[in-house]
Amino acid sequence: MAEEFNTQGMLDIYLFENGQLLERLQEIVLEQKDAECFDEESINEIFRAMHTIKGSSGVMMFDEITKISHKLEDVFYYLRESKPDNVPHLELVEHVLQVVDFITSEMIKIQNGEQADGDAGDYVEALDKFLTVIKSGKGEKEKNIKENVHVEPEQFYIAPMVTNASHYYKIYLTFQPDLPLANVHAYKTVYALKEVAEDLLHYPEDIISDESSADEILENGFKILLQTRSSEEELRDIIKEGYDIRKADIFECSAMDFKAGFDSIGSEIRIDLDSSVEAIEAKADEAREGNEAKSPAAIMREPVKDVIAPGDFVIESKEPGKGKRLAKDKPKKHEKTSFISVDVAKMDMLMDLIGELVISESVVLQNPDLRVPGLKLDNFNKAAGQMTKISTDLQNVIMSMRMMPLTNTFQKMNRIVFDVSRKLGKDIEFEMLGEHTEVDKNIIEHISDPLMHLVRNSVDHGIETADERLAAGKTEKGRVTLSAKTESGKVWIIVEDNGKGLDREKIIAKARKQGLLDPYKLDADYTDKEVYQFITLPGFSTNEKVTEYSGRGVGMDVVVSNLQAIGGSLEIESTPGEGSRMIMKIPLTLAIIDGVVMEVGKSSFVIETGVVKEFIGIRDEVMIHKPDGQEFVMIRGECYPVLRIGEWYKLDGYQANTNEGMLVLVEIEKKMICLFVDRLIGKQEIVVKPIPDYIRRVKGLSGCTQLGDGSIALILDAAGLVE
Amino acid sequence: MSEYVTQQDKYVTFKSGNEYFGLKIEYVNEIIVYQEITEIPESEDYIKGLINLRGKIIPVIDVRIRFKQEPAEYNDRTCIIVINVKDTVVGLIVEKVAEVVEIKQEDVLPSPSIGNDDKSQNKYVYGIGKVGDSVKLLLDPDKLIKDEDLIILDQTNEETMEEGE
Repeated sequence: MAEEFNTQGMLDIYLFENGQLLERLQEIVLEQKDAECFDEESINEIFRAMHTIKGSSGVMMFDEITKISHKLEDVFYYLRESKPDNVPHLELVEHVLQVVDFITSEMIKIQNGEQADGDAGDYVEALDKFLTVIKSGKGEKEKNIKENVHVEPEQFYIAPMVTNASHYYKIYLTFQPDLPLANVHAYKTVYALKEVAEDLLHYPEDIISDESSADEILENGFKILLQTRSSEEELRDIIKEGYDIRKADIFECSAMDFKAGFDSIGSEIRIDLDSSVEAIEAKADEAREGNEAKSPAAIMREPVKDVIAPGDFVIESKEPGKGKRLAKDKPKKHEKTSFISVDVAKMDMLMDLIGELVISESVVLQNPDLRVPGLKLDNFNKAAGQMTKISTDLQNVIMSMRMMPLTNTFQKMNRIVFDVSRKLGKDIEFEMLGEHTEVDKNIIEHISDPLMHLVRNSVDHGIETADERLAAGKTEKGRVTLSAKTESGKVWIIVEDNGKGLDREKIIAKARKQGLLDPYKLDADYTDKEVYQFITLPGFSTNEKVTEYSGRGVGMDVVVSNLQAIGGSLEIESTPGEGSRMIMKIPLTLAIIDGVVMEVGKSSFVIETGVVKEFIGIRDEVMIHKPDGQEFVMIRGECYPVLRIGEWYKLDGYQANTNEGMLVLVEIEKKMICLFVDRLIGKQEIVVKPIPDYIRRVKGLSGCTQLGDGSIALILDAAGLVE
Repeated sequence: MSEYVTQQDKYVTFKSGNEYFGLKIEYVNEIIVYQEITEIPESEDYIKGLINLRGKIIPVIDVRIRFKQEPAEYNDRTCIIVINVKDTVVGLIVEKVAEVVEIKQEDVLPSPSIGNDDKSQNKYVYGIGKVGDSVKLLLDPDKLIKDEDLIILDQTNEETMEEGE
């Protein structure tokens, strides 16, 4: 039966929801890792998250995940109920992170269609030990805590916990006829109710694996017996009549009725005003019929059937009916409805198409056929204006779709700092600034690794040990700051630490040994910047001992090459004894750049606006010709080399007359060069496309693009030209 | 499978110089009319440049120059055959596209190799197909677009990969 059940959709939702929960969990834990202990809200939230994961994993039959999440839930259950003191907080944090890691790795396996075969045994054991420790750690006030017993998670029966504030309800749900997979919808409701329930019974009881229950639910309705502290309004809030549930009848009943199970259907003490008498009677009849077949009350007491087990879901709360519903907390639900994940290839296709649309638009709007003298085009122009506006909007939207905040990436770094600093026994404060800065998704993928490396380096090499720090008269606690900001069309991501900084002498010594330095040049002749750049060379590591995290000399060079691959750069600043700053400068997006379009002969070229300093019209007299053909130009006392694009690329029909052309002064990495072009066309946003692999790489060209008229322009790569 | 069967033994034939050439139809994406080409500096002479094929930018090569024939003026019969060989999409500029013909396997003879001075053309031709009285030179598209540039090309690929884009 279970195989016939379509689990793929459920699996997707399972993975998505749990992924979100785990992310949230990690966030909470890391947020409070430096606190004395978790605050009550976090404990509740972690408990709820674990509970949800346990429940859904149980349904999906991932036993190991169920086990481990159950264990962690136990721990937090205990924390919540007993509020023990002296909990080793960091140990707890590590336990939680371990569990998160374990579940995440299992989920990755599941996602890849593999078996979730990890063994949670060790973790469970460790958690058990931990639980024992915290339990014994304190003379616990007898609060009548029920052992949070693990039950087969397919069941949603909940051990009765009679409190005075409890209400008992009978709930009848009538689903829309021909609703597909009614059992799943029923399950959804049960699942939602579980959050507020103290005890819950439903009929038909097997709605997970028994597909035929769907028909029964459609035919006879779905019945729920519920013990809760929530009011009827609150329940109605949970069970919303909507596209799936046609009618929800909720009756309050007595504890007696509740205990009697589904038998006592006749003795309603309250009748919902909305429902007609007939309807209720009909339902009562149906229910009776259902019970004749199988009395749930009997089942309830039949241990063989294993439908009821005590206490899987015991929640004791200070505020009846409140708060617990948060387990299905609102933001999560919100995300579920407002986000879809889309294949990036599809996005690229959409972007291509929009690019095409813009081009064909200009073909239509500037069609020569329209240039008939005396043609009245007022209405046409009005419509055309509207269309242009829409297509511009479209372009902006697709651009914004590709942008993502750096939050997730930064969050990961938080975790790394935590792990590494714990391992190394360093006390480090981690600060994040500007994590909402948005960057193109492709770029985010590329910077994650380099960033991780820089952060590790800071923690591992940058920050000294506590003793060293004290000896140097610094605070015991180290600090690593990760910040992001947008500056001059680029995103700067800065990793800053207040550690010992880079050791100039050591680097120079090492560089000498490796023969990287000019033997005739004095050490002092190298600027700090030059010296620090050495650490970005392959195989260069000044660290004598290799640690688990860094020091192997593969690293900084990889960081730099990764950054260069996306057109970024790395700047290193350091003050001995005070710390170092690694600045990653990366473009906002790979796909679109702001470019200056120019023409040389019949070809169009584009250069990134960011590198252009100045446009200069000059006369031949100011040019300086060297005998080897090289040309220079004197501008305001400065001498710049001149590169004639037409000559350089041997193009046809380029402007040779200096007086007619235009100089473009370009600055890249502190080097200046003048490009000589025929004329400037204008500035526009261009969509960068790679030059097909088939064509041999040409120096100074980094890509190509389509211009508004459909023709192709080549993108000049300033860094390549400077070389 | 069915697509394969219907495509089997079908060749797109085109004229270049005095000869007719055939290309297996499975390599051919489409045939478009000649359009404006953007030159790429510093590339081989037979690579004419780039064209914009509905938003995709593809390189085009001139088959005549590739075969070391005299370059011809482009006119309104000039076509670009867009082929896809192992995921490399390339346009071939040809004088004129003739027709699609069926050449049975048994009508394909191996390319003659006696007294062969004109290597430049022969290396792309893997066989000769008989259609009635005429013959078509059957082209190996892989060799046509790569061959001696292979080494350079691989380097290029590596470089481009490093560059990310």
